Amino acid sequence: MCILMKKVNSMFIVDDDPITVFGIKKMLKPVCICDDIQIFENGKEAVDALKNRLENGEDIPEVIFLDINMPIMDGWDFLEELISMDIKEHITINMITSSIDPLDYQKWSEFKNRCPHGLNYKNKPIFKIEISDLESIDLAS
Amino acid sequence: MKAVERIAQHYLLKQLPKATAFADTKGILMDASDSWLDIFDIQAKASMDINIFELFSGMVENMDLQASLKDSTSHTIRHHKTTDQSEQWFESTFCPWFDETENLMGTIVQTDDITRLVEKELELERANYLLQAQSEVLNVGNWEYNVETEQLYWSEETKKIHQVPSSYQPDVSEAIAFYKQGYSRNKISMLFHQIMTQGTPFNQKLAIITAKGEERWVKAAGKPIKKDGEIVKVFGTFQDIHDKVMAETKTRENEQLLHTLIDNIPLNIFVKDLDSKKILVNKAECEYLGKKPEEMIGKSDFDLYDPEVAKTSRDEDLQVIRTLKPILGKETISIKKDGEYTNFLTSKIPLFDGEGKINGLIGISMDITALKKKEDQLRNLINITSVQNKKLINFAHIVSHNLRSHSANFSMLLEFLINEDDEREKEHILKMLSQASNRLLETLDNLNEVIDINTNVNLEKSPLNLHDNVVKVQQSLSALLEKNQVEIINKVDKDLCVSACCSYLDSIIINLLTNAVKYRSSERNPVITINAKKHDKHVVFSVSDNGLGIDLERYGGKIFGLYKTFHNNKDARGLGLYIIKNQIEAMGGSITAKSEVDKGTTFNVYFNEES
Repeated sequence: MCILMKKVNSMFIVDDDPITVFGIKKMLKPVCICDDIQIFENGKEAVDALKNRLENGEDIPEVIFLDINMPIMDGWDFLEELISMDIKEHITINMITSSIDPLDYQKWSEFKNRCPHGLNYKNKPIFKIEISDLESIDLAS
Repeated sequence: MKAVERIAQHYLLKQLPKATAFADTKGILMDASDSWLDIFDIQAKASMDINIFELFSGMVENMDLQASLKDSTSHTIRHHKTTDQSEQWFESTFCPWFDETENLMGTIVQTDDITRLVEKELELERANYLLQAQSEVLNVGNWEYNVETEQLYWSEETKKIHQVPSSYQPDVSEAIAFYKQGYSRNKISMLFHQIMTQGTPFNQKLAIITAKGEERWVKAAGKPIKKDGEIVKVFGTFQDIHDKVMAETKTRENEQLLHTLIDNIPLNIFVKDLDSKKILVNKAECEYLGKKPEEMIGKSDFDLYDPEVAKTSRDEDLQVIRTLKPILGKETISIKKDGEYTNFLTSKIPLFDGEGKINGLIGISMDITALKKKEDQLRNLINITSVQNKKLINFAHIVSHNLRSHSANFSMLLEFLINEDDEREKEHILKMLSQASNRLLETLDNLNEVIDINTNVNLEKSPLNLHDNVVKVQQSLSALLEKNQVEIINKVDKDLCVSACCSYLDSIIINLLTNAVKYRSSERNPVITINAKKHDKHVVFSVSDNGLGIDLERYGGKIFGLYKTFHNNKDARGLGLYIIKNQIEAMGGSITAKSEVDKGTTFNVYFNEES
């Protein structure tokens, strides 16, 4: 039995809901090998960590799972910060939300147009993570 | 003898006082009095050459005098003589003249000067003509009653008014029967009786029914003529005044209609002259200003209203007078001398005289104060409704989002559980499920709390002492406050009360205090300053801290949102501010926040003291 596994160097999960974080980690297991998965409860923590990594020249996460509604700094503000950062590497971002507010979807499509990284939108509940969710075509290259 | 006699006769004849002449059958003048010869300008010497037929033929037309005189009857003719100064009229009578044996010998001519008679006749004729013309023009007829013969005479015009033919011969009872049954007939009967018995003249407006059945208004007048103290005749005029009466009635009716309309229409109506002085006011205008019409006529707006209002009104008047164009349906505010406000919908219309020149204006004002108030209430209600609606939509999103996130977790975890073989992992998943279930319940409780606040329409508010309530909360939170070494400065006036719901007030104070403690700065000793200020319609209750502060530019729109937390604090649930905002709004108040990062935050609660 040969299952195609994706090798990911570094990955961020930004979500304040421990159950969702548990779910994402569990669903990643069959499709991905990653030794560096970091969890953040809100956007601010993730931004700080990212800045740190940039400064220290550490690995920039290839994939980010991002919740929208979080305290202190929500998903949108996180994206805003991310776009303003000087990151050469291409990142695949999966926005995971239980929101069915059409405004959120609209916001996402606006961000998608100006974000240099891959930006996906996934409505909860999710049951499976595909390998395709972990990579996206780098439009810049 | 014959000659003597003749001379004597001649001499006698000559002196006859009445102008007389004799002619034979052939018309030859035989003899004449001097007066007669004078009339015809005949010299006495030439008198014997005159033929009277020739003499008269020039004066009388269409008459063969000679032939007429042959039948032995007398004839009279009129003739006239014109001189430079005057015209003289004469009447000559021709009588046959016989001898002893009844043989026609000739004719005796007697001539009278009738100039004065003819002049009188002409005058009478003219007077009659004038009377007739007048009576025709004025529709005035006349009548006359002869007491002795009991004969009633009606003039042509009188008959015309009665619509009877010229041949009609009235009597008194018939004449009275023409009057309309009831008042008119009774009145004329009485008046006729009185004039006949006491000689009382009358002049009365009455109604008749004409021969053709038309009802017409007439003016009947009567006067007695007395002879030796006895009433012998009664005469008078009879005038058709129907059109006049009808026109008057119509005018009066129109006036009445206009008056009734102007006075009873629920609009303020006034007429002003070019100096903006009132020349007419209706009842509504009088009632509005609480004055009698005579107190307002001749007054200008400056006498009746606030000076500024009066000036605006005068400017409007001048505009109408200058442009001749009406101002229609303009919303105005009127302030009376006593300061009472009224909203009006005012129109000002130029008023022209008969020659089309402006001589004032008509003003019509509708009191729309009540309408305006309703409009304001409605607008208020719409605002409240739209705010409520926004809140509801917001709340629906919150609910759906919160429930969705939990249900999504359930679905996901259940899916894992079904596919999981590892017993230990299964146990782990089950633990997660029960955690998810607890959080769902907690969320539902929170949402319920919010719904309770928003559905509690009939809040019982009572005056609560703010200072005492702060102290009470301070005591209940003493453990928390002491642990964090919080200094509380309560500056609230000990007598100040706010109108609030007791449990909400507690919740508001608790939340604001715990919030201040939660977001304290680790670099400073926490100080919370509590103050309250009474304003006209509300009390501002403020809670200031020296804590972390919050970037309001960034989060301003969200700080009172549900499940919004802005600090990395384990106790933060993002519920407190949302709940108290709802509680404050439910009591008709509001809450605002001022903050500076790393300096502190001030929350201002506005308690509505109006209702």
